[in-house]
Amino acid sequence: MDIRAQISMVFHLDKCIGCHTCSIACKNIWTDRKGVEYQWWNNVETKPGTGYPSKWENQDIYKGGWERNQDGTIQLRGAGKGKGLGNIFHNPYLPTIEDYYEPFTYNYLNLIEAPPGDDQPTARPVSMITGEPIDVKMGPNWDDDLSGTPDYARNDPNMAGLSPAERQAMFELERLAFFYLPRICNHCLNPGCVASCPSGAIYKRGEDGIVLINQKVCRAWRMCVTACPYKKSYYNWHTGKSEKCILCYPRLEAGYAPACMHSCVGRIRYLGVMLYDADQIEKTAAVPDSELVNAQLSMILDPFDPEVIQAAKANGIADSTIKAAQNSPTYKFVKTWGMALPLHPEFRTLPMLFYVPPLLPVMASVTETDGAQKAKLNPIAKTWTDNWLYDTSTEELWGTVEQARFPLKYMAAMFTAGDEKAMAERIKKLMAIRIYRRWKTVGDVDEAKARKVLADVNLTELQAEDVYYLTSLAKFNDRFVIPPAHREQAHEMLEFVGDRRGSTGFGFRETPARGM
Amino acid sequence: MNKTITLWTRLLLTASVLLSAIGMASPAAAASGEETFKKKCGACHSIGGGKLTGPDLKGVTERRTEAWILQFVKSPQKMADSGDAAAKALLAEFGFPMPDQDVTDADIKAILAYIAGGGGGGGGGAAAPAAPAAPPSAADIELGAKLFQGLVRFEKSGPACNSCHHVKNDAVIGGGVLARELTTVFTRMGAPGTSAIIGQPPFPVMEAAYKGRDLSPAEVKALVAFLQDVAAKEAMQTPVDYGNNLLIGGTGLFLVLACLYGLIWRRRKQLPVNHAVFERQVKSQ
Repeated sequence: MDIRAQISMVFHLDKCIGCHTCSIACKNIWTDRKGVEYQWWNNVETKPGTGYPSKWENQDIYKGGWERNQDGTIQLRGAGKGKGLGNIFHNPYLPTIEDYYEPFTYNYLNLIEAPPGDDQPTARPVSMITGEPIDVKMGPNWDDDLSGTPDYARNDPNMAGLSPAERQAMFELERLAFFYLPRICNHCLNPGCVASCPSGAIYKRGEDGIVLINQKVCRAWRMCVTACPYKKSYYNWHTGKSEKCILCYPRLEAGYAPACMHSCVGRIRYLGVMLYDADQIEKTAAVPDSELVNAQLSMILDPFDPEVIQAAKANGIADSTIKAAQNSPTYKFVKTWGMALPLHPEFRTLPMLFYVPPLLPVMASVTETDGAQKAKLNPIAKTWTDNWLYDTSTEELWGTVEQARFPLKYMAAMFTAGDEKAMAERIKKLMAIRIYRRWKTVGDVDEAKARKVLADVNLTELQAEDVYYLTSLAKFNDRFVIPPAHREQAHEMLEFVGDRRGSTGFGFRETPARGM
Repeated sequence: MNKTITLWTRLLLTASVLLSAIGMASPAAAASGEETFKKKCGACHSIGGGKLTGPDLKGVTERRTEAWILQFVKSPQKMADSGDAAAKALLAEFGFPMPDQDVTDADIKAILAYIAGGGGGGGGGAAAPAAPAAPPSAADIELGAKLFQGLVRFEKSGPACNSCHHVKNDAVIGGGVLARELTTVFTRMGAPGTSAIIGQPPFPVMEAAYKGRDLSPAEVKALVAFLQDVAAKEAMQTPVDYGNNLLIGGTGLFLVLACLYGLIWRRRKQLPVNHAVFERQVKSQ
């Protein structure tokens, strides 16, 4: 057992309102520089949609992630030693700037500085790369505005497995739905970017598993851009180095949540440390598609297990980190309650950003007893007798899951590598807790039914309350359990600090070298 | 009014003629005439020393009018082109036109005064070192070849000869075609002429190129030795002329490379993912 600590994240998609505050927070801190204008280390996509860069999930185009060989080993789909050498002068699978979008601003100055003329001055869009006026072709969240058009929502790669009828059903008027998918670097356990880098510039930090690119070592091969199936490694055309989400490690080390999480309006983001067995990585990444999710979850170990604690300590993991792992909200969502799932586990990078899937739009309860409402409905609209169900489309308790507006097959293509059963399990849990809480707070649900749904999904009442608390009431320190970084220990490993002792505390004031 | 101007003009003219006459007669002007002659003319012309690369200039002031000389020296080729019989005859006799000289009328007059004064007798090229009597030493030839190609730098960093000149010689790589080809220059001009031209280039472009970067006597000697060797061995040289083969070979190689690149990068992403969408979008230009 080789126990290591990993900072992991959980995004609760039911809570995301798609405000892009996270993206802006990240942009303002990290990617507001020349050469990275087009990069959105954090971006929010509308699903169904093609995302950013366009169709990033389609690995026939971008060749990201790992593929499983016949013999049960895995190899990078579009990078690695042989393939990298073959494409050493030109990597054909890189996204172009048009696949992201050409960053632009507006010539606002013209509004106040234009010479007098017959026409109102306008602020024309100007490319942030060339400085020339451009026609805006696309933006980083184009799906927001154009979802539903045949070009975007209907081209969602996750719909590949759906029949034409199922697809059409998703876009039926009055049944049309969407949800938001915020994305950052997954800080994977088996990162494609690290494996692909010919310069060895990318590494996974030992203490917390954050994946970083050493800017001094990067030689602009851009293999990581191809190898990352989530397209979360970007090339800075100005410095000639690749960059990616650093999970705001300077903030983490100081005990603050990353900027995107800190600023999240919907409070959908959770961050905590998890302990995993690094010996299992290779084996886990190579299991067949159907076992991927469970294999990945089984790598994550119980931080209360004395054996695990002992092995963790033997591996140099600090007590404070183990304690943080025990309080980790991500461990609860992912393991204890089994509600969160990795995004596209079939890419086999073992992402450590998990998503609580969306329960999808809740409809007002329309019943036959509600005469006024009923009169407004189409005569063919379905009616039923039960007056507590959310969804109006079925009378069966779990039927709504199978007949959700988004087919399970679609959700499973995103979160469970096609395993609809695993997907349904998570959605049922979400529903069960909602029904349970409705009984508690509104009271229009039968107590027996509330208890039955919990029992059906193997949740105790206490657990349901915990889920409810962490979902709806959690405070800052509940959502972000950041282990102390112990930089002082790292510092002591690198240099002798004993000479500071006895030599500080008194002296003359001197102007700092940087000037005052 | 008219009268006044004429009067003034006459006065000025008289004064200038008088002044120039005084100047011509003065020793300073004669010295400058000698200097200029040695620097600019001596490489090709002698005064009473017989025909070198160009004609002997003894008595030239008696053979030609001053006006003719003034015009000719500045642009001999133009003179021949304009149909001047004497200039044509000179061109025919020596086979190549004298290079245009960047000198003023006063300079020429000073030179003429120097020539008229006997020019100190002797041959031209007073600055030229003594001609090597024996065949040049192998060391000099080798050094000359290196200097010619720029493999060894001139002491004062003058440009290498082959940036402008070519010689037919298997031992050295081809040179430029900006200036005269120098294979037989030694045969034509002999040691004094060659070394004089190298030491003090009379050609405006070459003069400008080596201004302040004069070659040392040792370098001149080495280059002359090299050129003598080149001229002597001319008949035995068989430089390879690839002719059109070079062009054809180059085109063939280009095609091979183009095919290779086409093969290696056949999966190149030609269009953005959303190309069809972009095509439909309204464009302002």
